[in-house]
Amino acid sequence: MGRQKDKSYQSTVSRQYRQLMEQCKINLDKMEQELPPPRDDLKDTLKERGVSRRDFLKWASLTTSALMLPPMFKPLVARAAENFSRLPVVWLHFAECTGCSEALLRSTYPNVDDILLDTISLEYHETIMAAAGYQAEACLEKALHDFPGKFICVVEGAIPMGLDGHYLTLGPKGKTGLEVAKEVTSKAAVTICIGSCSCFGNVPAAKPNPTDCLGVGDALGIKTINIAGCPPNPVNFVGTLLHYLMFGALPPCDSLGRPVWAYGKRIHDYCERRPHYDAGEYVEEWGDDGAKKGWCLYKMGCKGPYTFANCAKVRFNAGVSWPVMAGHGCIGCTEPAFWDSMAPLEKPIAEKNVIGGEVTVDKAGAALLGVTLAGMAAHGVISAIKGHKPENHD
Amino acid sequence: MEKTDIRFPKKEWSVAVRINHWCMVSFIMMLVITGIYIAKPFTYLSGETYYKFLMGNTRFVHILFGVGLVLIFIWRVYLMFFSRFHADFKDFFAFTDIKNTIAQIKFYLLVSNKPAEHKYLYGPLQSLAYGGLMIMLFAMCLTGVILMGPAHSAGLTGFVYKLVKPLENIMGGLAVVRVIHHILTWGFILFGFVHLYMAFWYDCVFQEGTVSSMIAGLLFKKKKH
Repeated sequence: MGRQKDKSYQSTVSRQYRQLMEQCKINLDKMEQELPPPRDDLKDTLKERGVSRRDFLKWASLTTSALMLPPMFKPLVARAAENFSRLPVVWLHFAECTGCSEALLRSTYPNVDDILLDTISLEYHETIMAAAGYQAEACLEKALHDFPGKFICVVEGAIPMGLDGHYLTLGPKGKTGLEVAKEVTSKAAVTICIGSCSCFGNVPAAKPNPTDCLGVGDALGIKTINIAGCPPNPVNFVGTLLHYLMFGALPPCDSLGRPVWAYGKRIHDYCERRPHYDAGEYVEEWGDDGAKKGWCLYKMGCKGPYTFANCAKVRFNAGVSWPVMAGHGCIGCTEPAFWDSMAPLEKPIAEKNVIGGEVTVDKAGAALLGVTLAGMAAHGVISAIKGHKPENHD
Repeated sequence: MEKTDIRFPKKEWSVAVRINHWCMVSFIMMLVITGIYIAKPFTYLSGETYYKFLMGNTRFVHILFGVGLVLIFIWRVYLMFFSRFHADFKDFFAFTDIKNTIAQIKFYLLVSNKPAEHKYLYGPLQSLAYGGLMIMLFAMCLTGVILMGPAHSAGLTGFVYKLVKPLENIMGGLAVVRVIHHILTWGFILFGFVHLYMAFWYDCVFQEGTVSSMIAGLLFKKKKH
């Protein structure tokens, strides 16, 4: 902490931030010239939805801090938000449940994130588009033709690789998911994977993975931005897009392609129940006194200590709640292969069944130890009775 | 007494190896005990939350001794190659002498009275067990460092965590690393019991003072060396 008081350090940091801000302004100017005008005026949209200017500014400060930028970037975040609907987006669906779209588009009390996602310039989205069949196909082709190298490709769902990709065919021409993904991502400015399915395979790729599903990055061998989660938080998606609008580049990512500003710390590090973890206060069973007092859910199988995400900070459903707050442990949905590696979801990881059936590590270990002790006792007794001695030993 | 059983002392273990051994014993015991609490904690009921820090303290002790074990392990590997008394890295491959290994298995199973020839510092099965222990120690230290990393992002730990992060991804995330760490703990418990039994059994059968050799460093042989 001593470094923060250092004057030269502080001046270097603020100079770097000023440079970043200049870059950001230049990039926003360029964006405003190059991209088509916004479809809706954000001010009007917000007014219609009953969001005041004050609420919008509050949201802007929250998002600025969530993106780990200093407060002086607030006006730029607001400006990027006004330009949000300029960004052409092609949204692809592969092997998934559409839960991510549902989570992002449905909300009872929409906050600015949700409204921004509603105003997004979706050129193609299979769930919510009015067009169908050849018409839908035409929409996709138009988007690829109109904005080559400009649009953002958002992918939801894993890509089945088995049978040469024929486990998943889409559209009137019967293209495989693999073909569509290759065609669209090759022309996109950036590919953003939304949800753990497109990031890492997730449930479609869970053992035994009959369709040989892979995440988009692995399947196509391209670099993607992974907004992991099942479903991911809208804030993480909107923030990543805002970052792209502001700086013309995607945010820094961790080794699994997840933006560091959102997935840099674990659930456990931000958890509001963390003090109870450190104190040694655990919920022992559902609905006991500890559960009523909001104690730690570690013994109920919370996988927060192994999961990198910011759920505890930004929460879900307009910041109302999140799983651990609601009383169930984290299931680790932002991690690769969570369905397999985090199991059992409602027991601590120490009770994992590694051998199969109901045999946990501890049961197997205790049994082995018992056998060893019995064997040692027998061996000792027999050695003593036989008077076991080495012959001709130096 | 017709026959006097005269024994000649022979230095078996250097001071460094002996200190290293007992450090490892105490550190591993401490780590297993605290580790079991971390894996399967009990609720500490009495008192208010803000007075209590049971898991926090246990984890602190666990991490403290864990870092200590990493250093002790590095020290042991150094001794394995550069000990001035006896660099014993070749002795870890005593089991490759198949004939000797079979003789030793027969002797351990109480079938024959001819133990393996004493060619190396370790017996054939002993070398296998200690080699396995070294591999387990390495895996344990590695998984431990990975698990410590995300909670301590500053300083040396943060630097080391950056180096081992790719391994975490290869293993499949922190949860898998944690399971490996848990399974290996059982390996240490089993090794501890068998090692203790074999040390005493050797002492009784060979009567050379195996148990005390790890304290005084001397084995008492029948022939002069």
